[in-house]
Amino acid sequence: MKNRIILLILLTILLSGCANVKGYQKANLSDPDMTLSDRKSKKFETTFQIYREGASGANGGKSGGGCGCN
Amino acid sequence: MVVTKKTLIIITLALTTILAFAQDDNLGNDSSVYKKRVLETIEIDVLSSYYVQDGSNAAVTGGIGTEELEDFATNINISIPLNADDVLTIDGTISAYTSASSSNLNPFSGASSGDDDDDERDGDDDDSITGSPWSASSGASKHDTWSSGNIGYSHSSDDRNNIWSANINFASEYDYTSYGAGGSFTKLFNQQNTEIGVKTNIYLDTWKPQYPTEIIKYIHNDGDLFVGFFQDVDILDNVGNVVDKSDPDIWHPISNTLIEDKGRDTYSVSLSFSQILGQNSQISVFSDIVMQKGWLANPMQRVYFADKSNYFIGEADDIPNYTSPSNQDVFQLADDIERLPDTRLKTPIGMRFNYYLNEYFVLRNYYRYYFDDWGIKSHTANVEVPIKVSNSFTLYPSYRYYTQSKSDYFAPFDEHLSTEEFYTSDYDLSEFNSSQYGFEIQYNDIFTKAHLWLVGLKTINLNYSYYKRNTGLEAHIISLGIKFILDK
Repeated sequence: MKNRIILLILLTILLSGCANVKGYQKANLSDPDMTLSDRKSKKFETTFQIYREGASGANGGKSGGGCGCN
Repeated sequence: MVVTKKTLIIITLALTTILAFAQDDNLGNDSSVYKKRVLETIEIDVLSSYYVQDGSNAAVTGGIGTEELEDFATNINISIPLNADDVLTIDGTISAYTSASSSNLNPFSGASSGDDDDDERDGDDDDSITGSPWSASSGASKHDTWSSGNIGYSHSSDDRNNIWSANINFASEYDYTSYGAGGSFTKLFNQQNTEIGVKTNIYLDTWKPQYPTEIIKYIHNDGDLFVGFFQDVDILDNVGNVVDKSDPDIWHPISNTLIEDKGRDTYSVSLSFSQILGQNSQISVFSDIVMQKGWLANPMQRVYFADKSNYFIGEADDIPNYTSPSNQDVFQLADDIERLPDTRLKTPIGMRFNYYLNEYFVLRNYYRYYFDDWGIKSHTANVEVPIKVSNSFTLYPSYRYYTQSKSDYFAPFDEHLSTEEFYTSDYDLSEFNSSQYGFEIQYNDIFTKAHLWLVGLKTINLNYSYYKRNTGLEAHIISLGIKFILDK
């Protein structure tokens, strides 16, 4: 856990210095397909993957509870 | 618990440090000159799906048997802007399924004794009792409805650099109920090139446990095989001979202990970091820590031990073919229900990288590494390439690869030993890999020309995915999503 926090801080410091894109330069980044999360249409796919696979989480979806699954 | 407190202190200190740096950056940020509404108008998303699967490793019947399952699900999500800064989200899902393996909670068609028997065919004159892991029973547990509701609220600061959110949720199925709550905080800085977030969730689930018929009847009858469910029913040994039910050495579950703690609690903390890398690319890294405690095994799932004699109910002729789908008339009595530790610590770490190639193509990449203290390690990789064929249509071909090692507590059908403390034959916890091929088409009505009463059509998505596991499980899912926005 401690290592992950340190990694997060390092990433923040390192990567935040690598780009300074202005608002008016973000046209491409604002494309809906550039969103850094699953699209809403994937909701039920994620649900069945949580049921059918041992791993879950780190995908923006539910990380457990209320699904009758492991 | 000392470790937990220490962890929370580290998280708090780390976030405080990062946010303190971020405050300086905000001094030079003039984004508050014009305050755009977070959400312009009410949005309504309706998503329906049909899912079907089949395989030959049903956990309810101990790791062999049909996994045939169909599920129809619909989700409605309504986002309501309360003012320029606040959004209320109401979300509801109903899912109705038919499952062959769940039906085999009571696989014994023709069984007629017992006041809470699960067999809808009871009451007929047919006294023959048969069942098989390879065919669905007509039991009431064959069908069920899962429903859930979620209410969320989010608030954004005037400069849109701070976002707070909270949510409460509820879910119910015939064998459990769940209450949940959560909150999150997101901070944007570096002229909104960098974003960090922290999210916590808690789910409090309660089992309404359902057990394999033969086990619950045996316990309710205090082990008497001459009354109730077992009355007038022959029990067969491994070679098909009828056994003497007064013999104390014949079949009995190895434990008379059912669920002692009906609670199953889940606590999670998620950390996320996103960074714009350039005008065409951005990346995010995120991790959850999920702690579960309570009854984490599924009491519906049978386990058979290699060091225990096998006993059956049904037709003796099918015993030699028990593990083959050709067996339609004999069922092996379970040695126990699945038993698993009462805690589990899951740690997934994920990464997304999106790259805008040009006005036609975008690359969306996802990778996740996962490990937990039940011995499962897994890798997940997903690639999706949105192709904008016109202003109105986008295609989304995708491929997902998943692999996992087996849990320390997994063994296939009839391979566990009764001396083990924990055991499961649920193939979802076995070693396997899977591939998923997906294709989606999206229609985007840019000007919201099509109207239905007070709402305008925004997008339509039609998605199909095929999932194949190297254990033999195959699944298909088709989803239709429609997004409406309320006319201004």
